[in-house]
Amino acid sequence: MKEEKEKSLKVSVKGNIRDLLAFKNLTSERKKYIDEAPETFKQSDSVNILAKLLHPSIQNLIINGVKEETKSSKTFRLIPDPDSNTEKLAYFRAGQFLSLKVNVDGTPITRPYSISSSPSDALRGFYEITIRKEDHGFLTEYIWKNWKKNTKVKSSGPSGYFYYDPIRDSKEIIGIAGGSGITPFRSMVKEIMEGRLNVNLTLLYGSSEEDDILFYEEFKEFEKRNPNKFKIVHVLSCEEVNLDGCEQGFITAEIIEKYCDFSNSSVFICGPQMMYDFIDKELNKFSLPKNRIRKEVFGEIKNVVSFANYPKEIAEKSFQIKVRIGNLSKEIPAKANESVLVAMERAKLSPPSVCRSGICGFCRSKLISGDILVYLKNDGRRAADKILKYFHPCSSYPLSNLEIEVPRS
Amino acid sequence: MVEKNTEQAIEENFDAVIVGAGNGGLIAAAQMALKGAKIVLCEQHNLPGGFATSFVRGRFEFEAALHELCDFGPTTNKGAIRKLFEDDMGLNLDFVEIHEAFRLIINDPNDRLDVVVPFGKEEFIDMMESQVPGSKDSIRNYIRLGEEITEAISYITESEGNPEKDVLISNYKNFLKTAPYTLDQVNNALKIPKKAQDILDAYWCYIGIPTSRINFTFYAAMHYYFLIRNAFIPKYRSHGYTAALESMIRENGGKILYNTKVSKIFSENGHVIGVETTQGDTIKANHIISNASPTLVYNNLIFPKSEVPKRALKNINARRHAISCFVVYLGLNASAEELGIENYSYHIYDSVNSEEIYESFKTLNPPKAQATICLNNVLPDCSPPDTCILTITAFFLPEAWKDVAPEDYFNLKNKIARHLINTFEFATKTSIRDHIEEIEIATPQTLARYTGTFGGSAYGYETDPWDSFMPRLMELDNERYIKGLEFCGGFSANCQSYTNALLSGQIAAFLTLQGLKKMGDSE
Repeated sequence: MKEEKEKSLKVSVKGNIRDLLAFKNLTSERKKYIDEAPETFKQSDSVNILAKLLHPSIQNLIINGVKEETKSSKTFRLIPDPDSNTEKLAYFRAGQFLSLKVNVDGTPITRPYSISSSPSDALRGFYEITIRKEDHGFLTEYIWKNWKKNTKVKSSGPSGYFYYDPIRDSKEIIGIAGGSGITPFRSMVKEIMEGRLNVNLTLLYGSSEEDDILFYEEFKEFEKRNPNKFKIVHVLSCEEVNLDGCEQGFITAEIIEKYCDFSNSSVFICGPQMMYDFIDKELNKFSLPKNRIRKEVFGEIKNVVSFANYPKEIAEKSFQIKVRIGNLSKEIPAKANESVLVAMERAKLSPPSVCRSGICGFCRSKLISGDILVYLKNDGRRAADKILKYFHPCSSYPLSNLEIEVPRS
Repeated sequence: MVEKNTEQAIEENFDAVIVGAGNGGLIAAAQMALKGAKIVLCEQHNLPGGFATSFVRGRFEFEAALHELCDFGPTTNKGAIRKLFEDDMGLNLDFVEIHEAFRLIINDPNDRLDVVVPFGKEEFIDMMESQVPGSKDSIRNYIRLGEEITEAISYITESEGNPEKDVLISNYKNFLKTAPYTLDQVNNALKIPKKAQDILDAYWCYIGIPTSRINFTFYAAMHYYFLIRNAFIPKYRSHGYTAALESMIRENGGKILYNTKVSKIFSENGHVIGVETTQGDTIKANHIISNASPTLVYNNLIFPKSEVPKRALKNINARRHAISCFVVYLGLNASAEELGIENYSYHIYDSVNSEEIYESFKTLNPPKAQATICLNNVLPDCSPPDTCILTITAFFLPEAWKDVAPEDYFNLKNKIARHLINTFEFATKTSIRDHIEEIEIATPQTLARYTGTFGGSAYGYETDPWDSFMPRLMELDNERYIKGLEFCGGFSANCQSYTNALLSGQIAAFLTLQGLKKMGDSE
């Protein structure tokens, strides 16, 4: 019975003949649509135009001013370089960084720096980045020597995830900054002062000594102007503290509790690698849910050898890496205590990189043979990549000779 | 991105260049490499997959795009995609079965509906009959028609696009008679009650045009495969299989170049002869398979422009770019169970009127439709214990975003995302807002950023009856405007969807291999 019913299925939409004719006419119908269309080239579309404005792959910038902030820190003001095809700066969210692309005496490298100016400043035509000179810093020594007004600088579009999200985060924000980790907070504070970021921020700012404090006067002025929205507490780790109303020591649970109400706050943390380990322990005392804590990535691991499970016996070793990049195959030396990315940069291969913290995946490469070490805290690899042996050179350290395939930047 | 490194640039001859490593381009490259062709795959982004990818935020790895893969099937009932991966590509991949199609929630108080739509022919018929008594027979006919359509498509595929007219007329008459029509037209002809159509049509947002314009054949075939083979998703997100294809292409001697955008496709006397890239590569090849759309190729890539046939421009201007997506990715710090999120897939509509909802895609008003996925309800271990991943997808036509200024963009994203979260909470009676640990929002701009599609379109060209896969297939030969150039991916003759895009790669590879063989024979 059912069989018979199924066999007899006869569908008719507009009538047997008309339906079959309609099928036969499908191609002529299609041709008609094409006949009637214009034979012009299309203009590029607004969606792609806005995408490029928001996420330029490169921004050509010029230094428009340099300000000495402390004895070892400078703020560089960057404006677009229309002669190199950057008409406008990409807008961003306070807390994001730029990956600068610098050619240091023939060695092309990248470095992420938080934007210390506000998003509103970008609309006015400038970014600021504030850099602290490191002792024997490969890049910062070059910058101190060479960066002056009118120097040209290349950068990525704004990147990173260290920003206030009104859907996720509480309006009450506790900011914890260490050293030059203050820079993204300056962007946030400026945006609060402009009335364009609707949060209340209590900022605990750790410095090693008074002379190292960045933006001291500026923050003081901001605090005076709008004490309900912004409050700053300086915490100095040096022995002798003369500054009014500041705390001595490190940013501990006690200090945090003294100035902040945890019950309904989001905590934003940015500072050097060491500070994270310390703060993690302090914050554990409050057992905050994970969605109440945001941490900026801290860049490259500085002292990989000191990590607990690092195989100390190879620390001083050097390996060979066979790199395939585009059409080039090259064998390069690599120190065991430096990332694979740094080895490639030393060999002047211009590998791709943005965050240098293992997170963004821009340097994703194929490990053909050999062993690498990746630390959990900055292992941003996808699950399948771990299985299929793809890796992020910026956060990977050679444990043997390697053979790798790397995309060009 | 510092000075271009000339040492690294490629100047070489290849059998074929594949432009773009999306679903279609990856399969095309893999198939060509397997057959021993010398190929290079150029991808502008630094990853394989195009839309078929994933990304990591904090403790979570999010699926970028895929909701459910059609025509995969269990090992005992292999569908086209399982055959493609396992039998043709020789890959053994982890895919996990989804056991129910979706939960459909209509928020309109006049048409309020909340029903779990199952896979399985009989299960589907039973559900429809219980929701709309008396609909059983018409639904059975709809499924029967779907079966005939999929058989007809198999026959046409096996005949390599040259089916016998007599066979079509004697065996697949209902297929022929319904192919020129829309979903609404055929459903009405089948006398499916209006309320039953509301449920049956609920996949429409995956096609991206209203039911008054969706080609019936396209819809019914997809739905039938879902009914008989359920849906599957890759265990390690889309990146799991796209990265596996990437490795497999390399292992078979194929070359893959990331961060390498093809900037010119050279054509001479109506035949492609090679490409130039943003990395300074000059590659000679007489065959090109483009995963980039005909719109991008004819508008921007063919060089010199005098080589672009007028008819090709008319073709791309006649067609309409389909909708783009707006996706809210949420990593939640509570389990799905704890939050009361019971289902894997939710289709939540403000109204049963797809035309009204489609019209709203043209504006930046709060979205009236969302397709939401809770990955953990199929992949319990896809995120750490006591967390889950929820992604809410809404839809826009590119034109809606044309006047958005960069400084308004982030606030606009947040406003729309907030509305979508509220709607989800309202429809499912859950509360998720206090559990958001990670949030990322993709807009049409994000899709454009990573894939470069015109308008950020995610669904290729709209599939009205005149531009659905039957007329595209019937005119395929006439619309190969430049020799040596084949298309694959969501903008190709196969139409959009993961499944179709993957299969299109194989078709493009076979056409190219035929071309290579002919050239070899003539030499």
